[in-house]
Formats: sequence, C-alpha cells, structure tokens
Amino acid sequence: MSHFSTVKTQLRKKEFLKQALIDLGYVPNERENLVRGYRGQTVKAEMTVEMSKGADIGFRWNPGSKSYELVTDLDLWKQTIPVERFLAQVTQRYALNTVLDSTAQEGFQVSEQKNNLDGSIELVVTRWDP
Amino acid sequence: MRDLGPSYMPQRTLRFKIRQDGRVEETVEGLVGEACIDLTEKLEDALGTVERREPTSDTFLREKVQNQTIPAEIH
Repeated sequence: MSHFSTVKTQLRKKEFLKQALIDLGYVPNERENLVRGYRGQTVKAEMTVEMSKGADIGFRWNPGSKSYELVTDLDLWKQTIPVERFLAQVTQRYALNTVLDSTAQEGFQVSEQKNNLDGSIELVVTRWDP
Repeated sequence: MRDLGPSYMPQRTLRFKIRQDGRVEETVEGLVGEACIDLTEKLEDALGTVERREPTSDTFLREKVQNQTIPAEIH
C-alpha cells in the first residue's frame, strides 16, 4: 500500500551532519574537540565548528536519543541568525542529504528538486522495477 | 526471460517535502504491500522518528473501486 509519513528529523549520522555544515559554508572539525564558551570554559563535542566571532558551536552525541545535539554558549551567540534558525538550517540540509543518499542507494534517481518560497525543499525520485 | 523494456515496468515514485524546520513529509506511490514498508524503513531509520503514517489517497481510491466492482460481479 502506498503511504504518507511525517518524520521529525534527528541528526543521527555523522557524515550527513558534516556534509550539512559544509553545504551551509561552515568548516566542521570531526575530531573530538573542545567548544569554547564564556571566560574560556569548554565542553567536549564530537563535531565542532570554530566561529570567527562569538562562541564555538559543537555537536555532542546523546546516547539516550541516539542523535547529535547542538552545544554552544548562548550568552556568546553572535551570529546573524538566531540559534533556532541555525539548527533548523542544519537539520534541513541533513534531511536532504540523508534522503538523497538513501534513495540513490536503493536505485532511485532524482527527477525533480525545487526550493519553494516557504523555504521547504521538494524532491521527487523514481525507479523502474523489473 | 525477455526484457520487456521500461514501458512494461511499474514506476516507483517517492515524493519528499523537506520543511524549513527539517521535518520530512514522504509520499510513496506505486508500491504494493510489504515492499512499501521495507523500502522506506531504512530511510526513516537514518532520519528519525516517524510521527505519522497514513495511507495515501490512491489507496482509498483502489478500495472504492473494489467496493463498486464486487457487487457487480455477484449480480
């Protein structure tokens, strides 16, 4: 039966998270690293992004939720967009990369990809089955 | 077996809408039975929790057609 699913995206795979950050113009560091915050305080994270101004951004693996979570010192947030918007952008790119990779592995080809005015991305993939 | 070419093969179509907050809406077309679930399970594993799963309108359409043809065969 055909069906319709809604998935609340979680950042589960490191390689797609890394690619999402690169797509958005950031330079992720994959080694376990320290995220710098207020007065030089630090926390460890599996993936970090050094920011030119303000606090660093890190992604820390949460074994409970089995996903990466953003860690940063919000008091030092100096980016042009709010942190919620930043995380949403990363999550959207992550979702797109995951969908593209998983469907390509299953033999699907992209037949349409467009960016909508509301900021959503539409993707159609097809496959001919013998 | 003779290759009948693409025009004789069923086309599988997956439609995705990736919203601004990262939520993914997926519509599967042209898949029958368990294949439908198998195909997308892998993908949903990498993406996250499925909040909602419901049959698409073409499933309802097929059921409607069946309801109409069965009495016709009895008479």
